[in-house]
Amino acid sequence: MRITTAICALGLMAGAAQAQTMTMTMAVGAPVTSLDPHFHQLSPNNAVAQMVFSRLVGTDAQSRRVPDLAESWTAVAPTIWEFKLRRGVRFHNGSEFTADDVAFTIARVPNVPNSPSSFAGFVRPITRVEVVDSHTIRFHTATPYPLLPLDLSNVYMLDRETHQNATTEQFNAGTMAVGTGPFRVVSHANGDRIVFDRNDNFYGEAPGFARVNYRMITNDSARTAALLAGDVDVIDQVPTADLARLRGDARVSLAEVLGLRIIYLSMDHERTGPSPFITDNDGRPLAQNPMKDIRVRRALSMAIDRNAITSRVMEGSAVPSGQFLPPGVFSHVPGIEAPAFDAEGARRLLAEAGFPNGFRITLHGPNDRYPNDGRIIQAIGQMWARVGVRTAVEAQTWTTFVARAGRQEFSAFLIGWGSNPDGSHPLRNLTSCFSRERGWGNSNRGRYCNEALDNQLITAMQELDESRRERQLIDIQRAVFADQAIIPLHIQTNIWASRRGFVVTPRVDESTIAQSVRPATMR
Amino acid sequence: MSTTTKTPVVAVETPFRRFVSEFAASKIAMVALAVFVFIALIAIFAPWIAPQNPYDLAVLDIMDGRLEPGAIGGGGYVHWLGTDDQGRDMLSGIMYGLRISLLVGCGSALLACLFGATMGMIAAYAGGKTDSSIMRVVDLQLSFPAILAALMILAFLGKGIMNVVIAIIIVEWAYYARTVRGSALVERNREYMEAARCLALPPRIALFNHLLPNCLPPLIVVGTMQIARAIALEATLSFLGLGVPITEPSLGLLIANGFEYMLSGKYWISFYPGIALLVTIVSINLVGDHLRDVLNPRLKK
Repeated sequence: MRITTAICALGLMAGAAQAQTMTMTMAVGAPVTSLDPHFHQLSPNNAVAQMVFSRLVGTDAQSRRVPDLAESWTAVAPTIWEFKLRRGVRFHNGSEFTADDVAFTIARVPNVPNSPSSFAGFVRPITRVEVVDSHTIRFHTATPYPLLPLDLSNVYMLDRETHQNATTEQFNAGTMAVGTGPFRVVSHANGDRIVFDRNDNFYGEAPGFARVNYRMITNDSARTAALLAGDVDVIDQVPTADLARLRGDARVSLAEVLGLRIIYLSMDHERTGPSPFITDNDGRPLAQNPMKDIRVRRALSMAIDRNAITSRVMEGSAVPSGQFLPPGVFSHVPGIEAPAFDAEGARRLLAEAGFPNGFRITLHGPNDRYPNDGRIIQAIGQMWARVGVRTAVEAQTWTTFVARAGRQEFSAFLIGWGSNPDGSHPLRNLTSCFSRERGWGNSNRGRYCNEALDNQLITAMQELDESRRERQLIDIQRAVFADQAIIPLHIQTNIWASRRGFVVTPRVDESTIAQSVRPATMR
Repeated sequence: MSTTTKTPVVAVETPFRRFVSEFAASKIAMVALAVFVFIALIAIFAPWIAPQNPYDLAVLDIMDGRLEPGAIGGGGYVHWLGTDDQGRDMLSGIMYGLRISLLVGCGSALLACLFGATMGMIAAYAGGKTDSSIMRVVDLQLSFPAILAALMILAFLGKGIMNVVIAIIIVEWAYYARTVRGSALVERNREYMEAARCLALPPRIALFNHLLPNCLPPLIVVGTMQIARAIALEATLSFLGLGVPITEPSLGLLIANGFEYMLSGKYWISFYPGIALLVTIVSINLVGDHLRDVLNPRLKK
C-alpha cells in the first residue's frame, strides 16, 4: 500500500517536471484563415490571436471581462474612457508595450487592406485617442458609450516599431506574428497546422506546455479518430454522433459548458402580402403572410418539442431556450423559460388565426454550418406537420443558404448567432430594424422591426450605469420575445474532448486555445 | 460450352429465341436477373408493401430515432432493419430509396440512350463536318470525369430529382453516341442500306427503321451497364448532399445519414442501404455482362 502511494507520488512529480517541457497537440474543426489579428473576424482566427497577442480587456472562460494589458478602466467623463496600462510588458521581440502602441493599433484596425470581415466596428465609436502618458490612454466618443470595454476585448494590440508597415501576408508567414501573448509562432502551414512555442517572458500565468501543435482537421470523424488513435491530445467541436461513445470511453474526458450560441428560427416579417414559401393546403399562395400574425408565430413555437430536439438530435449537447442568452450572463431575462411543447394549444391558436386546417410551408436551413442543422429542421418539420402545418424541408450548403436568406427569399429558416455576453449585441444585430446608416439589424434576415424598441435600445446603449442598463436590456428582450420576433430553439453546449493526462477548461466563447489546457498532473 | 446445353431444335429458331436460350444457359445471369426483377418489384410496389411512408414527416417520430434492428417503435410495429436519426423505418426507407434509384437510373439511362443514339446515328449517317463536330463534343465529354461534370451541372441547376436525371443524361449520352456511331458506320455500307438509298427512302425511315434495329445489340449492352452506372452516380451525388431532398432520401442519402454514426456503432443506418445498393448494381452488371457475351458474336466460340 505504502509502496503504491510512493510510486504514485513519484509519478506525479515526474509528470509535473515533464510538463515543463511537454508538447501538446490539439486539433480544431474550423480552419484558421489568417494570423493577422485585424484581418478576418472569425472565431478560429480570434482563438489563435488570443494565444499570440493580448487585448486591453481580456475575457475569462466565462466570457467575463478581466484586466489584461489594461489594469483598469473608468469613464472619467460621459464621453471619455481612461485605460491604465500594465507596466513592464514586452513583445516577443523585446520591444516594450506602451500607450503609443495602443494608439497605433486603434489607427491600424480600420485600415487593413482587403479585410473580408473587418474589426473596424469595434473602434468606430472612438472619435479621438489621447495618449496621456506612456501607460495611460483616453478614448473620446461622440456619445456616452458604455460598451467600449466590451468592444475593445476584440482588439488585439500590436507594436508601432514592429508592425508599422507589416502586411497581412507577413503575419501569415509568421514573421510579423509578434505579440505579447503566452505563445510565439514557430511556423504556420495555411489550413493545416500552426506550431507555437511558449513565451517564457509572458506577464500572466505561464502556459502548461513548452510546445503546442495546433492542427486543423475539418472532417468530424477524422478528428475523433485522431484523438482515439492518440495522434492528438485535445479536439474541439466533438461531433454529437460520437458523444455517446466518447462518454463511455475511459481514455477520454469531455469538457462541456453552455455556450453563447443560440439556434433559432427566423420568419418572414417583411411581406404583408403572400410569402414565397407559404401556401394553402391546395398549394395556392395565401393572400396574406400568416407570419405577420403573432398567434401563428406563437403556435409554431409551441408546436416544437425542444426537449426532443436537444435530447434526441443534439444528444444532450444543447439546452432548450426561450431567449438569446443563457442564465448567469449579463442581461439574461429572468422568467422567460423555453416555451413548453403544447401541440393542442398550437392547433387552437392556429384555428383562432383562421387556419383550422393549417397551411403549407417550406422550412429552410443550412446543412453544414451548425451541429445537426439539417436534422433539426427535419425534426421541426415532423412537429409542425403534427399540428397541421404541412412542412417541406430544404437544407442547403451554408454559402448558398445565407446568401438567399440575406435576400429575404425564405418564409421561415433556421440560423444561429454567437452572442457577446451582453443583450445589446443580439438585439442590435438580430431583431432591431434593418438600418444601414445605424449599422443595425445586419443579421436581421427576417426583417422584424419595432421602432419603439429600437429607441429604447438607443437609450440603453448610452446608459453608463451597468445595473440600470441591464434592466433596460431585459425589458427590451422581454418585449421582443413576447412578440415572438424569432423562435428560439436551443443554446449549444461547447464540447472539447481530451485524452487522459490533459484537462481542458471549457470556454463559453467557443475559442480553442492552448491556455485552456493543462497537464492533469499539474492540478 | 453453350452448345452442349442447347435445347433441341423443335420449331424454327428465331434470333430472339436463340438469344433467350443462350442467355438462360448461364445460371449466374439467371440468378442476377431474378434478383433484379425482385428488386424492381419491391421498388414498384413499395407504397403498398412498405410498413411506413418514410417521406411523410407527419408519421415519423424523432423519439423513435436510431432504434436497433428488431426494435419496436412508437408506431407499434417492428423496425426489422432499425430506424435512422429521424425515426424513419430503414426497411421502408430502403424500399422507397430503391424506387428513386431505379427510377433515376433507368429513366436517365433511357433518355440518355435516346439522345445519344440519335446523335450517334446522325453522325454516322451524315458523316463529314457533322460527324466530326458531334464526335469532338463526345470526346470532350468523355475526357471529363463523370462525377466532376455532374457536380458542376448540379451546382448550376440546383438540387432535385429532375436535375439529377438531367445531369446524368448530360454526362452519359456520349457513351451511347460513340457506341452507336461505331456500329452504324459498319452497318451503313451494308447492302440493305444501299437498297434503302436506292429506293430513295427518306433518311428518317432509313435511319430508324433499318439502321437502328441493326445497331441495337451493342446499345442494349451499353444501356444495361449505364443503368448501373447511373444508379451509382445518383447515389454518389445524393451521398454528397447534391441529389434528392433530405426528407425524401434515396439510397445514397440514407448511407450518408448513417455515415456519421458508424464510429458510435450504429452501423445499420448505413449498412443496409449500402447492401441494397450493392446488390442492385451487381445484379444489373451481371445481367449486362452476360448480355454482352451473348450478343457479341466475336466473343462466341
